[in-house]
Amino acid sequence: MWKITSGIFLGWSLGANDSANIFGTGVATGTVKYRTAIWLTAVFVLVGALAEGPKCMDTINELSRINPVSAFCCTLAAVITITALTFLAIPASVSQAIVGTIVGAGLLAGRVDFTLLYKVVACWLFTPVMGIVLGYLVYRVSASILNHTVKSITRRNLIYFTGILFAGSYGAYSLGANNVANVTGVYVNAGLLLPLEASAIGGISIGLGVLTYSKKVMMTVGKGIVPLDPFSAFVVVLAEAMTLHIFTQLGVPVSSSQAVVGAVVGVGLVGGLRTISGKMLLNITVGWIMTPVAAGLFAVGLLVASRFLF
Amino acid sequence: MFKNFFHQGKKEQAVIDKTSAHIELLIAACKGFHEGLIQEDKNRVLQVFHLEREADTIRREIIAAIYEGAFLPYLRPNLCRFAELVDRVFDEIEDAANHYSEMEIPDVLKEDCVRVAFYNIRICEMLLICFHALIEGNELREKTLAVRIYEKKIDDLKFEMKRILWKIPVDNFWAGRILAEFIDGLTAISDVVEDASDYLHIINVSMK
Repeated sequence: MWKITSGIFLGWSLGANDSANIFGTGVATGTVKYRTAIWLTAVFVLVGALAEGPKCMDTINELSRINPVSAFCCTLAAVITITALTFLAIPASVSQAIVGTIVGAGLLAGRVDFTLLYKVVACWLFTPVMGIVLGYLVYRVSASILNHTVKSITRRNLIYFTGILFAGSYGAYSLGANNVANVTGVYVNAGLLLPLEASAIGGISIGLGVLTYSKKVMMTVGKGIVPLDPFSAFVVVLAEAMTLHIFTQLGVPVSSSQAVVGAVVGVGLVGGLRTISGKMLLNITVGWIMTPVAAGLFAVGLLVASRFLF
Repeated sequence: MFKNFFHQGKKEQAVIDKTSAHIELLIAACKGFHEGLIQEDKNRVLQVFHLEREADTIRREIIAAIYEGAFLPYLRPNLCRFAELVDRVFDEIEDAANHYSEMEIPDVLKEDCVRVAFYNIRICEMLLICFHALIEGNELREKTLAVRIYEKKIDDLKFEMKRILWKIPVDNFWAGRILAEFIDGLTAISDVVEDASDYLHIINVSMK
């Protein structure tokens, strides 16, 4: 069972980092208390992981067949890649890292389903696009409904507060449902865990990351994002949650950070605002290429090394 | 954890009620000042001091209630700034009342001073209307325009009064200075009220 420790560590790291995409703006602006945010996130991540987590595990399983030692090496390579790229300030996605490692391991063993890989890569490309579209549409529709039905400032205040809590909880649910496959999916593939066990362990490890080490990232990301008004913050989180949920139904784990960036751009488009810079776009592109490539190479290196050890 | 759900906006309503009371007190102060000028009753004008102290207490209560959790943090700075601006109007009225207690208005300026004091009542009433419009979610544009029109009228009167003021002979430096400061204070009230109405507009825009 020691082989799943790297997956637990990956889940902890994902929880500590990605929870900022859900309640980051809410906590940084003081709308939601940090304690409320982390407990809601941890609970709904676990619920999402248990309810819909296995859907994305099938994709991870079918990408390439790997053995238990390879599963350990893949998650370890993913953790190291994510940590190194974060240290270099390059936005890195756990989904891309883990798929990169599986493809690396698969290439080494000569077993990769490239048809499925194309589908996964296409989904990665469509994640920010869907974020933009949903951010734009949700903003337009909800603003129109609110402007015609709720005029009182007191009611709006209550609706925005409730909306941010609801969208955040839905975001946490979608994060758990979509991203748990990244954390423990490889162990189902390797025959170490059953899908439900993998969902529970993955959900708990992500939840632990949220509960124990998310404050710093949450405050940094929350304050670093374009200063959003409460309504836009609600729309961004809701659009991100919907994006993740849609890709969960397609069975493809995607990046919550890229979904958030897309949603921010979509909300910005409504007001004709420039919410993304060329430098930021370049950074994201570099991350897109670097993450799976670096993680894949790392996994190959670790697997070659492991052949001498085991 | 979910206090806001169960309070159903009670904290917010308390802030709204107190802010309304704050502006109503401001209207009462302006009315007292106006009546005092018409009747040339300095004691009536000096009652503004009591109202200013009362307004100070209300301002503290508003700011405390806001920081105890009323409204989203995003709105709080602008709401506090609005309360502070209303309080600054009280400071201006208080200063004008203080100057008035130390001087006599020259006959050539009396009528204009009473007109400015009257417009001050109207502009403060308009501020209250703007505040209620904001709370109920009604259109603010025309109401804030009315505030700006009153402010323009007072500004025009101010320049007219200053032209007259420069020609008035004074007994000594202090008599001249107190008179000039009285006119400045009386006409500055509308500027601060205009700033306050701008904040209401900002709050309105930021919640849409």
